[in-house]
Amino acid sequence: MNWFNVKLIFAREIRDQLRDRRTMFMIFVLPVLLYPLLGMSLLLVAQFVQEQSSSVLLIGSDNLPDDPQLVDEDRFREPLFASPEKRDLLKLEFRDEPLSDDDGDGDHMKAMAVQEMDLHGYDLVIYFPRNFDVRLQEFRDQLKQRDGPNQTPAAIPSPQLFFDKSKDKSNLAYKRISQVLRLWTIEIGDQNLAESKLPATVTRPFTFSNTDLAAPGHSNTSMWSKILPFVLLIWALTGAFYPAIDLCAGEKERGTLETLLSSPAERSEIVMGKLFTIMSFSIATAVLNLAGMALTGKFLISQFSGLGGMGDIGPPPMLALVWLPLALVPMSALFSALCLALAAFARSTKEGQYYLMPLMLITLPLTILPMTPTFELNLGNSLIPVAGMMLLMRETIQGNYGEAAKFIAPVLAVTLICCWFAVRWAIDQFNRESVLFSEGERVDVGIWIRHMLRDRGPTPTVLEALLCGVILLVIRFYAMSSMKPQDSFAGFAVSTAVIQIALIATPAMLMAVMLTSSPRRTLLLNKPALLTLPAAVLLAVALHPGVLALGKVVSDVFPMPSAQMEQINEMLAKVQADAPNVWMFLLIVAVLPAFCEEIAFRGFILSGLRHLGHKWQAIAISSIFFGVAHMMIQQSLMAALVGIIIGYVAVQSGSLLPCIMFHVTHNALAIADGSLSKNPRFEWLYSGAYQWWIVALGAGIAAALLLWFRTLSYSRTEEELWQETVDKPAQATTG
Amino acid sequence: MIHVRDLTKSYPDLQHGEFVALNRLSFDAKPGEIYGLLGPNGAGKTTALRILSTVLRPTSGTATVSGFDVMTQPSQVRHHIGFVSCNTAVYDRMSAWEMVEYFGRLYGMQEEPLRARMEDIFERLQMNEFRDLLGAKMSTGMQQKVSIARAIVHDPPVLIFDEATTGLDVLVARAMLQTVSELRDNGKCIIFSTHIMREAERLCDRIAIIHRGQMLAEGTLEGLRESCGEHDLEELFFQLISEYERQHEFLETAEAG
Repeated sequence: MNWFNVKLIFAREIRDQLRDRRTMFMIFVLPVLLYPLLGMSLLLVAQFVQEQSSSVLLIGSDNLPDDPQLVDEDRFREPLFASPEKRDLLKLEFRDEPLSDDDGDGDHMKAMAVQEMDLHGYDLVIYFPRNFDVRLQEFRDQLKQRDGPNQTPAAIPSPQLFFDKSKDKSNLAYKRISQVLRLWTIEIGDQNLAESKLPATVTRPFTFSNTDLAAPGHSNTSMWSKILPFVLLIWALTGAFYPAIDLCAGEKERGTLETLLSSPAERSEIVMGKLFTIMSFSIATAVLNLAGMALTGKFLISQFSGLGGMGDIGPPPMLALVWLPLALVPMSALFSALCLALAAFARSTKEGQYYLMPLMLITLPLTILPMTPTFELNLGNSLIPVAGMMLLMRETIQGNYGEAAKFIAPVLAVTLICCWFAVRWAIDQFNRESVLFSEGERVDVGIWIRHMLRDRGPTPTVLEALLCGVILLVIRFYAMSSMKPQDSFAGFAVSTAVIQIALIATPAMLMAVMLTSSPRRTLLLNKPALLTLPAAVLLAVALHPGVLALGKVVSDVFPMPSAQMEQINEMLAKVQADAPNVWMFLLIVAVLPAFCEEIAFRGFILSGLRHLGHKWQAIAISSIFFGVAHMMIQQSLMAALVGIIIGYVAVQSGSLLPCIMFHVTHNALAIADGSLSKNPRFEWLYSGAYQWWIVALGAGIAAALLLWFRTLSYSRTEEELWQETVDKPAQATTG
Repeated sequence: MIHVRDLTKSYPDLQHGEFVALNRLSFDAKPGEIYGLLGPNGAGKTTALRILSTVLRPTSGTATVSGFDVMTQPSQVRHHIGFVSCNTAVYDRMSAWEMVEYFGRLYGMQEEPLRARMEDIFERLQMNEFRDLLGAKMSTGMQQKVSIARAIVHDPPVLIFDEATTGLDVLVARAMLQTVSELRDNGKCIIFSTHIMREAERLCDRIAIIHRGQMLAEGTLEGLRESCGEHDLEELFFQLISEYERQHEFLETAEAG
């Protein structure tokens, strides 16, 4: 790659964007103006909310006791409020109790309350039933004459509150009046205690004293540590998206992309130049918005605290504004590369706009997840792209530098790996003629299906392979929700057979027959070289201790709830005990899944993906599908890793049979492991886990076997052959 | 200078299965000559020239430009050509001078020689009065001049013009053709594709008539007239194409039957 060209393209794109009025407005003017304007309107709205009063209708005020008073003249008594101004916010109106025979029963009063609220716009209706004061007095008299603790006085009829929770104003009125009534009830209680010659401290013998240990300046960081990273990432994404659309789809539309493509600049140089441009704008947008928001927030909060405070929200910690941009750089790089690759797809800026939604849909959960309080920074979570970085930022803003430092490495590693893939994807897009010069096609499902059936190749296309993967996952998802856990062997066998045969193997085979002209080649139903079969079995055996050790690491990093784990183990043990013999059990748990899953994942899906032109890309994507199909994160990770090995065996041997042999052996060993570890005869090699030297020995043998597989000559797809001719001169010049 | 052998390009097409845009096209072009590709819209001219400029890759066949293979040495090929087409627009937010300078730098030219070269080109193409005008504000004629200046700034031995006069008014198109023939006189190897007979007649030293991705005839204007026994190029063109369509139809019905 010629970095001079990258710099040249970068400088031009930056200048080009800076000359665009829309970009300038979006990136520089909007954050500078937007937040102060938002802040101002917030101030206005807040004042409006504060001053709005609630109107309350009180029915049956004659039934209120004289002491302690609830109402003084036309309002609630002043001591029942925290501050005198609050008293004016509850406007009271009175209505006499309706004269009826039913003694104010619930339904009647409810109907009346609804009518009053509808007709006169009351936010809340409160009703004190007939003889409330009399009964309260009786209660107090009984208290005084009480003989012993067992004698309880007669109950007092409940006053009723009517409000509408679906209406904000009514809710507010309810909150305000509840405070008042609570204080009033306490007064009544205290009086009762006094009259019974008991001190008021009987019911509240002590109070808790609270001390906030947060360091000064950090007491408000909790909220900001969630909001600021979120705002930062969302703006980083938005800031990357629009320039990306302009730089790719926009250039296609204006016809300048072909000019650039016919210049000596390599595609990778063009991508990098554009990527750095997009990144710069993404960072600028995020930083400016962050600064705008933080400064406005600081100003607003100082205003509010002058007005009487706004709870426990304080100004954002300014130190955070220094840390966040550092974390922003790798995230912007990731978002920019994703946006660039997506934007390369779009034929026009209009089409490009449509891609923002799916991108947001993927990113939003990853950014919202870390805002939940239970989601904490640990090794497992730090390995989740985007979310890990958010958690890292959260800890940093809260000042937990030690905690954050521990996870910088994994978070950065994951982010950089994702970045690398996204950049590769973007460069791939720019190497694809069908992407750069695609013309608008009429959308017609009929034509498309006819095309799929008519122009069948010997193996499926990439799109068909991806479609198969997605279909399998969707079917699996729905099947999972409708299947019940089984504890008899027969039930377990049937449900496993249904899943494996009907939901995994059959769709793949059907697609192979319908969509390809050579299902045999697609499903790799070739005779393999004889040696590959024992080699595959040996490989599975050699890898077994390592897989087990790795599985332990995975379940340490992503611990499964122990109840769930026990449930699964218990079920498996029951099923195994119920099986007529161990061979039947192995058939259902090891052999059947091996056949069916290999047909789908190493057969149809991998064969189609190999048209991508990179065999490792094909192996990786098919393994991801294989992993996700296992539906449980711990199993999925391990399955994906093992899938890579089986995928490699499939490519190198060109046959499904060694893959099935590997799979059967692998599954069987996993089951045998349970019984093996309990057998004292094997204690020398097994104490809770395999001895380290066994793991190392196995890994060594496996590496040797994989090297042997590497020497096999495998058949390449046309795309792979082409990619090799392209890569060779490039390697010669760079090397 | 340019050798094209059996160049084929096909695309997957939803409606018709595979679409062959270029079918075993072969030709050679020498320095100091204008080689014309004449064909109706959709004949495959643009596809052929995009392959020569390495923007597209051929499905099969070979093409070399100045001795460099378009498949294996695309970067060197791009260094040795200038490509002007109706699809290669100028940047809206860049002035004429900036645009030409940008491409000069991409071609690896040093600052001083580039400046001297640009002064010369801007003088020759009479672009000095709009050298600081942004692309968006230029007339079509100005834009076309910028495109030519951009394509010749590194003084390439090969120039490719793909329907470059499309959308130009008579005066501008005339000036453009004048420039192209001057470039030929300077010893450049020029490929010029068009669907306008007059242009081909006036400009091209040799003409290839292309239809449906296939070459129907090739030769000097005189040679073509003699071999077809038809003096008028337009008439000749029409005859060749209708003859091809007749055969094609015959073959198709034979296949179907």
